[in-house]
Amino acid sequence: MERKEEVKSKSWLDQRLAVSDLWKVMMSEYYLPKNINFLWSFGVLTMLVFVILVISGIFLLMYYKPDANMAFDSVNKTIMMDVAYGWIFRHVHAVGASIMFLVLFIHMARGIYYGSFKPPREIVWITGFLLFVLMAATAFTGYLLPWGQMSYWAAQTITTLFEKIPFIGPDLVIWMRGNYIVEDATLTRFFALHVVLLPLLIIVITAVHMYAVRIVGSNNEDGTTMTKEEKKEKGIPFWPVFMAKEYFVMSVFLLFFFYLVFFNYKFAMDPINFEPANYLQTPLHIYPEWYFLAFYEVLRGFFFSETLGLIAFAISMFIILFLPWLDTSPIVSGKHRPLFKIMFWIFVLDFIALTILGKLPPSGLFAWLGLVTSLIYFAFFLSLPIISMIERKQVESGGRQ
Amino acid sequence: MKELKILIVMIILVLIGYWGIEPLAHSIMHKHIEEAIHKNNLPDYEYSDLEPMPHSIKGDAKRGKETVQMFCTSCHGIKADNIPAPMDPKTAAESYGVVPPDLSNLGALLDEKFLYNFLKDPAKASEFPKISMPAMGLDDQQIMDVIAYMKSIAKKDMDGKEATIEACGRCHSIKYQKFYSDASPDVLKKYLGKVPPDFSVIHRAKGGEYIVAFVNKPQALLPGTSMPRVGLNKEATEKIEHYLGEIADPNKEARTKIGIGVLLYMLVMIGLTYAWKKKMWKGIH
Repeated sequence: MERKEEVKSKSWLDQRLAVSDLWKVMMSEYYLPKNINFLWSFGVLTMLVFVILVISGIFLLMYYKPDANMAFDSVNKTIMMDVAYGWIFRHVHAVGASIMFLVLFIHMARGIYYGSFKPPREIVWITGFLLFVLMAATAFTGYLLPWGQMSYWAAQTITTLFEKIPFIGPDLVIWMRGNYIVEDATLTRFFALHVVLLPLLIIVITAVHMYAVRIVGSNNEDGTTMTKEEKKEKGIPFWPVFMAKEYFVMSVFLLFFFYLVFFNYKFAMDPINFEPANYLQTPLHIYPEWYFLAFYEVLRGFFFSETLGLIAFAISMFIILFLPWLDTSPIVSGKHRPLFKIMFWIFVLDFIALTILGKLPPSGLFAWLGLVTSLIYFAFFLSLPIISMIERKQVESGGRQ
Repeated sequence: MKELKILIVMIILVLIGYWGIEPLAHSIMHKHIEEAIHKNNLPDYEYSDLEPMPHSIKGDAKRGKETVQMFCTSCHGIKADNIPAPMDPKTAAESYGVVPPDLSNLGALLDEKFLYNFLKDPAKASEFPKISMPAMGLDDQQIMDVIAYMKSIAKKDMDGKEATIEACGRCHSIKYQKFYSDASPDVLKKYLGKVPPDFSVIHRAKGGEYIVAFVNKPQALLPGTSMPRVGLNKEATEKIEHYLGEIADPNKEARTKIGIGVLLYMLVMIGLTYAWKKKMWKGIH
């Protein structure tokens, strides 16, 4: 009798999928601390941009032809000129890919500054890092698809980097390209990765990322730890309170986004890419899209040794993964760490400087600036254990909380 | 207030980055082009490196026609005057490397000072040593007559597409407009060393300013190029540049119109979402 009543009070779906429990865990009873600012909105913004990319991508997919003889025309003629509003979808997709990285960089910088990678949030950081790498791979494979000059030569240059890997390098490059140079086979496999495997992996890892955040909870400006009960009492629920603010942030973001889509899209659609790929003619300047420039500049920064540059390049990307073990300071938030604050802002400015230098020709003064900024990039990560040690001593001696 | 400060810092950093990768990078990467344009004062519609015309000599169109029939029509046709080309385009292209132009409308497209110098010495005026047309050894009077004749038969009000095809269409295709060059790509490759670029979206790749300067003096911007100087006058150059811009970016108007609509919509959304946020966050802080 009792059981029957319980069953009655639940909806049909609830009995079978426990949707209201899921809703509670994920949304209405997931509490966030109050002392968070709008930088905490950037996680949801990456989701928004990802959804925009998937939707615009599906429409592009309906007309795109992954064939070296047809790709350029299918993009620049069919999609841009023949299909009704096809150009909007291409603009949205190109600008979206670029802006995804702006949002990601801000999201990551917030995590670094407020110590969101520290225990118990290591899994959040690791899955986040994997998402960043997957996003980079998706962007790189996608950039080849329009089969323009810059598409072609960026892919040619970046795949050539793998040649330097000991023993397997040269074979690996041919295996990746499916040919001795970037060719039709490369285009088709990049296409397969770009539209199937990589987005699928992104969705799976995103699920783990969000699940992990639900378990450990959001960090906050002061890095204070709160129990579930404390949060329930002093915090705000994700739905509807946090999301009410999030929608406002999204609207402001979309205003900026659509301004770029309609009025300022050149940064995401390089003019050189409106020339069809030509393997006999190298463009005067070859550079990756802006979001890879900083890492690319680390590669070029060690201009006197190609091998050293490559090692530095690989480390520059993967050292980010090891932040939780480099920065072991008991003080969580950068807000309360004067030494860290200095290094953090040097790092941010250095990252911007690397990005700018990455596009300039690497000669004379620029080459030396590249070396200096590359070294500063690593200096930030190497300073973290030292800062942590100093701070641990301060805390142990009771000097600071 | 604190959030506003964060936002301002964020905007400043993003703007610095944007300035670096767009205006700064482009100004440094395109420096040699800017310098070449500045040094040669391009576009130079006076063709000031060429010899001045003998203005004291008056050209006569009627005599000009006779001269043309004597010296030119063994290679060139003149449709406007019912003089057919001596060879079909395919044979002509294979014989000369390129189809000799029909002379009907060149008088309206080319600068007359350039034309004078070209008829004296085609290779020198076009800055293209491999050019198929030889110097014909005409004297000044004959040349002035020919110019007068060519101007008298030329169509004055050509539209952008006509001008582009007349001036460029013997070597360049415009695939997306279903126009294909008179000479086949293989023949052109033999004559020029490479297949000349298609014009469909070239305006997006190169930009109007570059196109105008390049057409005006190809060797100044791309030393060693097989593009001859064709000597277009100001009007024809501008017509062609405008046409190439139109076909490369046909959605310009729609983009502005839809863009403004979308931005206005987002402004309304900002208002609505802000109101909801205000309501939900009342009493929280």
